[in-house]
Amino acid sequence: MGNNRFMQNAVTGWMVPHGEHSDIVMSTRIRLARNIREFRFPIAFSDEQAEEVGKIVSEALLSTDEKGYSYTRMKELSQLDRQVLVEKHLISPQLADAEQFGSVFLSEDETISVMVNEEDHLRIQCIYPGLQLESAYQKANETDSALEKKLPYAFDEEFGYLTSCPSNTGTGMRASVMLHLPALTITRQINRIIPAVSRLGMVVRGSYGEGSEAPGNVYQVSNQLTLGKSEKEILAELANIVSRLIAHERRSRELLLEKSRIALENKVFRSLGTISYARLLPSAEAARCLSDVRLGIDLELIEDVDMTILNELMIFMQSGFLQHYEGEELTSEELDISRAKLFRERLKNGPSLDEKQKDNT
Amino acid sequence: MLCENCKERQASVILMQDTPTGSIERNLCEKCAFNLQTFSISPNQEPMSIQQFLSQWLSGSEALQQQTREVQTMPECPECGLTFHRFLEIGKFGCPTCYETFRERLPKVFGKLHNGNTIHKGKIPASFNEKMTIKKKIEELRATMQETIQEEQFEQAAVLRDEIKDWKQKLAKEIEEGGSAHGE
Repeated sequence: MGNNRFMQNAVTGWMVPHGEHSDIVMSTRIRLARNIREFRFPIAFSDEQAEEVGKIVSEALLSTDEKGYSYTRMKELSQLDRQVLVEKHLISPQLADAEQFGSVFLSEDETISVMVNEEDHLRIQCIYPGLQLESAYQKANETDSALEKKLPYAFDEEFGYLTSCPSNTGTGMRASVMLHLPALTITRQINRIIPAVSRLGMVVRGSYGEGSEAPGNVYQVSNQLTLGKSEKEILAELANIVSRLIAHERRSRELLLEKSRIALENKVFRSLGTISYARLLPSAEAARCLSDVRLGIDLELIEDVDMTILNELMIFMQSGFLQHYEGEELTSEELDISRAKLFRERLKNGPSLDEKQKDNT
Repeated sequence: MLCENCKERQASVILMQDTPTGSIERNLCEKCAFNLQTFSISPNQEPMSIQQFLSQWLSGSEALQQQTREVQTMPECPECGLTFHRFLEIGKFGCPTCYETFRERLPKVFGKLHNGNTIHKGKIPASFNEKMTIKKKIEELRATMQETIQEEQFEQAAVLRDEIKDWKQKLAKEIEEGGSAHGE
């Protein structure tokens, strides 16, 4: 198996541009935190308890109807392999750090991951492309309901699902939507929107977690409250805020096109030029250019680039992937060279890996 | 940076530890911080981390002395040894039993974190639901039985008594299955 195989494996379920509003919403993620009664939480458990939790969770999961889970222990993976899983959003950075007792079950299409011994005994995650809050929750909920038949969950009548961190107590649910908001960023409206959204019990942050900048104008919106509201209410509130953000972004795009079409065309085609021909491509520049080109495709200014390629490149441009691709550790300059080379090749190649994969089968 | 203590996990909290020669800074992971005896904590994680949130509350000005005394007299968790004071510092529970141990103080904590909400309104695990349903059923039957006794319909009351016995057995079985499913 060569690099091509690796690249094909690198494309995962949520990266295809499907689902509602897929021009603006990149993915939807639901995460449920669960713990098992009579075991201490990972912050305080003994090695024996950690092993035992791993054992009973795998027995429970392998006896559910959902087949085809692959099971991976963190200690069996190199640090680079773990980083690649984080970059694909299939595991959390915290699980990657849980070297000793952390493990993950991945469904065949990689849309469901069940993380074991992260901050809680169980973190059930479902990630779908586009805006699909209802169906992503349904899928995660199915997995949860199948598991609760086998596992004695720590649950309290008053406080709901008991979690290690009090910010997850109750439903244990974190729902988040990843949005590409270039027009709101260019017009600086996002700076007013972020504090307004947080007053509504939701959080907006850059796509790579807490407090980070938003590389590539990708933002993550998620619920902050987990107690006192049902899953349904939380999802409805989040959906409401997301749909308002989408409408706002669309209006701003139209306005930009109307008022400064040439400047906008100039920006997106320069960026297309950069990622098609650069010899050194630092990650911040790559993220910015990808955002511009994506906007150019959405507005039908750029017509001969496939969106799937851009979704792939967003993942491939990260340092874990590039080092995996090259098969060796890279310095930061080597990373920029490798990134530039990969971008040139992918943008020259035309059809996406996804289509190639279909042709092969 | 790796944790100074275990040298395995990433350090995520900075602790100020008092020593005879003055206080020193220690970089630890959450797990080692949990196990350490005495410390005060200054988290270096997210801008507004939960630890910060809770520890600010801990050092808040309102009736500080009295509150501190109250916090210190709270029992420690019999299962994992966590004290309420330590919980406020690290912002994490050690085990499900902590919720039971600190139950009376928790509505205040949750109220701050969840916008005034303190009661769960979402999904309930099916097994838990079944137990609740059976308990409610038994309550109802008992009430009906009392009525029939007062009305001196003793045959009917005996039927109800047997029915209650059956439900009680079912409940006991539910609890037993739920509690021993992990093979203790």
